Amino acid sequence: MAEDVSNTEDMISPIVTAYPREKRYILAMMQDVQKKYNYLPKEALKMIAKHAEVPFSQTYSMATFYKAFSLIPKGRYNIRVCDGTACHIKGSAVLIDQIYNNLGIKPGETTEDKVFSLETVNCLGACAIAPVVMVNDTVHAKVTSSGILKIIEKYRGDAGDEDV
Amino acid sequence: MKMYSNEGRQILVCCGTGCQANGSLQVFDAIQEQIQSLDDVEVKTFAKSTGCNGWCEQGPLVKILPDDITYCQVKVDDVPAIIDKTIKNNEVIERLLYRNPASKKRVKSPHLELDFYQKQKKIALRNIGEIDPASIEDYIDRDGYKALEKAFSMSAEQIITEVTKSGLRGRGGGGFPAGLKWQSCAKQSSTPHYIICNGDEGDPGAFMDRSIMEGDPHTVIEGMVICALATGASNGFIYVRDEYALALKNLNLALIDARKRSFLGENIMGQGFAFDIEVVRGGGAFVCGEETALIASIEGKIGEPRDKYVFPAEKGLWGQPTVINNVETWANIPVIINEGADKFASIGTENSKGTKVFSLVGKVVNTGLVEVPMGTTLREIIFAIGGGILKGRQFKAVQTGGPSGGCIPAELLDLPVDFDTLKEVGSMMGSGGLIVMDERTCMVEVARYYLNFLAGESCGKCVPCREGIRHMQEILTRICEGKGQISDLELLEEIAETVKIAALCGLGKTAANPVLSTLRYFRDEYLAHIEEHRCPAGVCRDLTEFYIDKEKCTGCGICIKNCPVDAIYGEKKEAHTINVEKCIACGSCIDTCRFDAVRIR
Amino acid sequence: MKIIIDGRDVDVEYGETLLTAAKRAGIKIPTLCHNEAFEGQGRCRLCMVEVERGSMKNTVASCTYPITGEIKVSTSTPLIEKMRKNIVMLLYKQAPGSQLIQDMYKEYGCVDNSLEENNADERCILCNLCVLACREMGSSAISLIMRGTDKQVATPYNEAAEVCLGCGACAEICPTNAIKVIEKDGQRIIWNKVFNLVNCQRCGKPFATREQLGYIAAPGKDISTQSLCESCRRKSAAEKIQGFM
Repeated sequence: MAEDVSNTEDMISPIVTAYPREKRYILAMMQDVQKKYNYLPKEALKMIAKHAEVPFSQTYSMATFYKAFSLIPKGRYNIRVCDGTACHIKGSAVLIDQIYNNLGIKPGETTEDKVFSLETVNCLGACAIAPVVMVNDTVHAKVTSSGILKIIEKYRGDAGDEDV
Repeated sequence: MKMYSNEGRQILVCCGTGCQANGSLQVFDAIQEQIQSLDDVEVKTFAKSTGCNGWCEQGPLVKILPDDITYCQVKVDDVPAIIDKTIKNNEVIERLLYRNPASKKRVKSPHLELDFYQKQKKIALRNIGEIDPASIEDYIDRDGYKALEKAFSMSAEQIITEVTKSGLRGRGGGGFPAGLKWQSCAKQSSTPHYIICNGDEGDPGAFMDRSIMEGDPHTVIEGMVICALATGASNGFIYVRDEYALALKNLNLALIDARKRSFLGENIMGQGFAFDIEVVRGGGAFVCGEETALIASIEGKIGEPRDKYVFPAEKGLWGQPTVINNVETWANIPVIINEGADKFASIGTENSKGTKVFSLVGKVVNTGLVEVPMGTTLREIIFAIGGGILKGRQFKAVQTGGPSGGCIPAELLDLPVDFDTLKEVGSMMGSGGLIVMDERTCMVEVARYYLNFLAGESCGKCVPCREGIRHMQEILTRICEGKGQISDLELLEEIAETVKIAALCGLGKTAANPVLSTLRYFRDEYLAHIEEHRCPAGVCRDLTEFYIDKEKCTGCGICIKNCPVDAIYGEKKEAHTINVEKCIACGSCIDTCRFDAVRIR
Repeated sequence: MKIIIDGRDVDVEYGETLLTAAKRAGIKIPTLCHNEAFEGQGRCRLCMVEVERGSMKNTVASCTYPITGEIKVSTSTPLIEKMRKNIVMLLYKQAPGSQLIQDMYKEYGCVDNSLEENNADERCILCNLCVLACREMGSSAISLIMRGTDKQVATPYNEAAEVCLGCGACAEICPTNAIKVIEKDGQRIIWNKVFNLVNCQRCGKPFATREQLGYIAAPGKDISTQSLCESCRRKSAAEKIQGFM
């Protein structure tokens, strides 16, 4: 999932320069970089600052303010547990505990083998099928405390297959 | 080649997020594939993927027109039968029809027969579920862009007067009259003027804006162009949460189509009026739902709000006059212009006109999106439309208004819902989330949940919000852990009152609502936690112990199957036992037991 | 135009902030995040006052509230005082290490309670003045990072910032003395960056960082001609004037 970062600058440059040199495109540049790398490398924040002609401290400030961005690389499977109200009262906190018991990661953390990351997200707007867990782009509906373990197993299996 | 809707049979597949998660895209693909090979039927058949139908609980929903048959919980395996029986032979497949639990009868056309639809009145959601959101022709077929055409025959003042007369109030939370905003912006001499659509829907438990952007993007665009015409704006922005992938896709597509047909661009409808819209993706910050924070975010800054003593209508985006309304508000505009302010104003209550879309979620039977006239009672929404509480449990409270709202207890169920009544009982309309809670919901924990949410979502700019939330969260956490003291309640109220007066923005000022409203209506639950070290709902784990009532347990084993930590044991057909040492009090057993045998100690 | 503040008629200019008008009239309103060099921020909320305009009564932050009509202002009511007391209590929990906040805690008669306090040496109240000062100096080495209860002031990645001049304007403007500046052995350490100090050519005391002087000097101008500390520069200027007389 995460690409090779050795040539970061060459890779990031086209993403950033696709936008006009204006402050208002900073968020869009960051989103595009985040999508590509699953996180915002430091070089990217510097390049965006330079391109948009703002201080580095401003891009850093924005990158830490908005929740869409991560400053550290995420795992191959990003588990996003919706903790919107509907999901919460239908037991999303239990799912988070179950993931911790199983993978040893808390929200914001990544497993050592870089296979799984966990985060909680604000309402995904799928309240009618609560509680909801997204793994990368796939929505899992009405997840139970035992169901989440099956989901993890499935992805762990997939990860294993790809490694072979 | 465009196939117009009146030429044949249509199969509408709901592809809203709820249905998608249950596999509606696969159902749609299967239907598409199988109707390709249909040559032996008289009427041509087309399949359409639509936006959210609203009845998410029964999804994936497949509706067949003009027969008017709705099939529920359709799976890919059902598709051959639908094609063979219904499409080829006009047969209704009974087993795919919804079974009304009250009458035990199968229902062919739920929107004609069921309270879930009958009690609704759709204005903002009028097209959703009926049209293919990717087709501008579908929108035009249903009077789309007619309001814009009409607006060109009106003066700017006439348009604004119409919106003012309609009594439309902002659907995003505050309920500020839309006409006043427009008028205030229109009269500013400084140019350019801007229009913003606030699609940064952040209230947990609310998804009406998502649904509108996904299911009927052109109505938002049309509303904005009409406003631009009235206020002389040159540019518009739609700020959408980046998580809303489908909304972004459909909006961008709609913008391209609208430009092609010159509903946007340099010379709109050949009238010499120029206006265009761009989509801005939000960065993931609840506070950006607050309009001044949203404006800061579009400008390329962190989303910190500012004091709003000067409204954005005077000084907004880049210091210029700006009209900012939320998605649902925009969706009402074309209808107001088309059908007239008087008709719109005839719906609703004295000071809250029209309808409101609610996302009805939580412990209610029919979860989904519903649109009802303002002034409908909570009881009607939750029991008549929503079908009551899941598993026949006891209703405890309904939370409205998102994290800034409050919890309304059973004794207020007959409250007619509008902007003002909700405020009077200590909650607010917010964007329209209605989260139903039952006896298994702990109100102290709910308050803590919202404060946790706000602690992460406050921008942290002003002291009362940032530090007040921090400490309210601290107190609620220790009450939930059984370490609270009676004096904590007074301290909690003291901080809450200060946050309410002193916080900078609307979100901060209302951050204390979850605390104040639960303290007001559910003080006994706080006391149970503090004085008896007991969580009556069995949610706060440190204060909860489950046990099995040996009299009631039939030994069916379902709790054993569902327990994630193997803490329940017992032979088949004999009463089971919970191992308290192992139990994590997750509540799986109590939620799945059909015999009410799991109890809270 | 005229407005009434605490029962007194006060002359004001249209559009100026309530705080500016009150200050000019000698009416004291407490503030922490305000500095005359910058526009009002509305962060600390201590300056909130009650404003009556017609039949409307509101509580507003005087540092951001522009005067646009006839208003009656009360700067100290029981409601306002109670609110200020609570804000000071909250600030004390956040920054118990600040002498200023400790003094205010006593002054407002705050009572100890069970709420958690931050580390005893924490002094920052997140007023953002340091960030504004740094921007004013043209550096923008620091900014507000994170949000909500995690908000802080920091350099990117908490590393020594390339653009930091070590000028200390941030520490200078800080109302709670929260920014650590260590000066010893001819060096200044601030925001995790170590600077070599230049000695005053006259009195020999170390007084500014090399980066700072390089920044002030016009392009091409030698730093050394500027190398006088502030008090020596004043003396030297005075001497020059005397020399002319």
